[in-house]
Amino acid sequence: MADPRKYPEITINPESIRQAIDARMNARLKMWMRICAHCGLCADTCHFYVAKDRDPKMVPSYKAQKLKEFVKKKGQVDEAYLKEIYDIAYGDCTVCRRCTMFCPFGIDMATMVATLRGILTSQGMAPEGLKAAIKNYQETGNQMAVSEEDWVETLKWMEEELQEELPGAVIPIDKKGAKIMYTVNAREPKFYPQDIQLAAKVFHVVGEDWTFPSKVGWDDTNLAMFAGDLKTAGYIVQLIRDAAEELQVQRVVITE
Amino acid sequence: MTFSALVEGPLLWIAFLTFLIGSALRLLFFIALSTKKDKPVYRYFNFKWMMLSILRWLLPLNVDIKKNPVFTILGYIFHICLLSVPLFYSAHIALWQESRFGWSWWQMPDVWADWLTLILIAISIFFIIRRLVLAEVRIITTVSDYLLILVCALPFVTGYLNTHPDGSAYAWVTSALPLYGQYSTLIHILTGELMLILVPFTKLSHWVLFFVSRTVIGVEFGRRNYTV
Repeated sequence: MADPRKYPEITINPESIRQAIDARMNARLKMWMRICAHCGLCADTCHFYVAKDRDPKMVPSYKAQKLKEFVKKKGQVDEAYLKEIYDIAYGDCTVCRRCTMFCPFGIDMATMVATLRGILTSQGMAPEGLKAAIKNYQETGNQMAVSEEDWVETLKWMEEELQEELPGAVIPIDKKGAKIMYTVNAREPKFYPQDIQLAAKVFHVVGEDWTFPSKVGWDDTNLAMFAGDLKTAGYIVQLIRDAAEELQVQRVVITE
Repeated sequence: MTFSALVEGPLLWIAFLTFLIGSALRLLFFIALSTKKDKPVYRYFNFKWMMLSILRWLLPLNVDIKKNPVFTILGYIFHICLLSVPLFYSAHIALWQESRFGWSWWQMPDVWADWLTLILIAISIFFIIRRLVLAEVRIITTVSDYLLILVCALPFVTGYLNTHPDGSAYAWVTSALPLYGQYSTLIHILTGELMLILVPFTKLSHWVLFFVSRTVIGVEFGRRNYTV
């Protein structure tokens, strides 16, 4: 039977892999790769381990130590190896950090797995959905590539509908000095605009002083982080921060 | 220079200095690299979270006591034996007193040293069996994990043998290894030196890095309001 799993296209460039590893190796990761005593206390703290009938390959330390193995190979890897790492990094770990709460040394195994993801992503090896989202963030500032025009139009449309029910209710855009800058998941303007209307209703009823930024910085999701693309992840957070500073708000509130 | 003079002289110095300087360098290497590449640790550093995280896991005040009481408690006892016997055994202190330093400090009754040694050996055997038996531990176990248990236990095994020359264990070992009787003290010293030398180069460096790692995660979890 053919392997039903789909993998992104892989081109192996040992030098590029080495550089990606070097850039990501910090003092913490090096220390954690060194001191893990392989005691096994993390095993049953992992939901994968418990759900998969105590499969030893789901032991967090096993997954995290793959980073050590990967680093040691210095880029000399083949396609099968990268697929194995890809399956572990995305398929066997949700990067929830529960194992760390039971590790006597406090080894951050989730961050080690996330580093594996980051190295793979740097080589163009990430799930297609995440890749597309990263591209959208970089080009439009939100994961769904909602244009500024569509975004503002959606807010106006929702404001009109809201006013039919609550006369006088508004969805303030770019209101300088408001107390709150509200941010949403880009799915909301794209597929569920009513969610925005409902939030606006709550804000109106409690008399909150709030606003949306019109340009960028309103999408609070960070799918780049899930792919270990820390550069884009940082850029997304920076957009939100910049918008908040420009609007001189006191706090940023994120959608549920 | 005779072999015994080498082991008791220069090699002893090398072992202690490797252990001390090597461990200090581990710490320095961490600081040197982390100031460049681990800035959040410094930005969010907090003394309270550091101390909480270290104390909770240095003392048996953590969640693993509840989750795996047997293994965790044996782990604590193992460490107590491993540190206390070399430091407080009377004959060791006598050697420090004889040495150029002339140091001396509290010593434990010899009967304590005997029992703590036997307990450490028993726990070492348990650790090895546990690594072999439990699938979830076996998969993450490397050859060096077994060897390091041996390295830690050998000074205790030889120490016990040498202080009980009338015992049946000693008779058994000397009949299997006729040379052991002749070099028993040297072998004991060598095993200790081996352990000290290996500390900076293996996971045994956790005697220093434990504190660093707990600090790092204490700061990281503390600032996110998780349990440190």
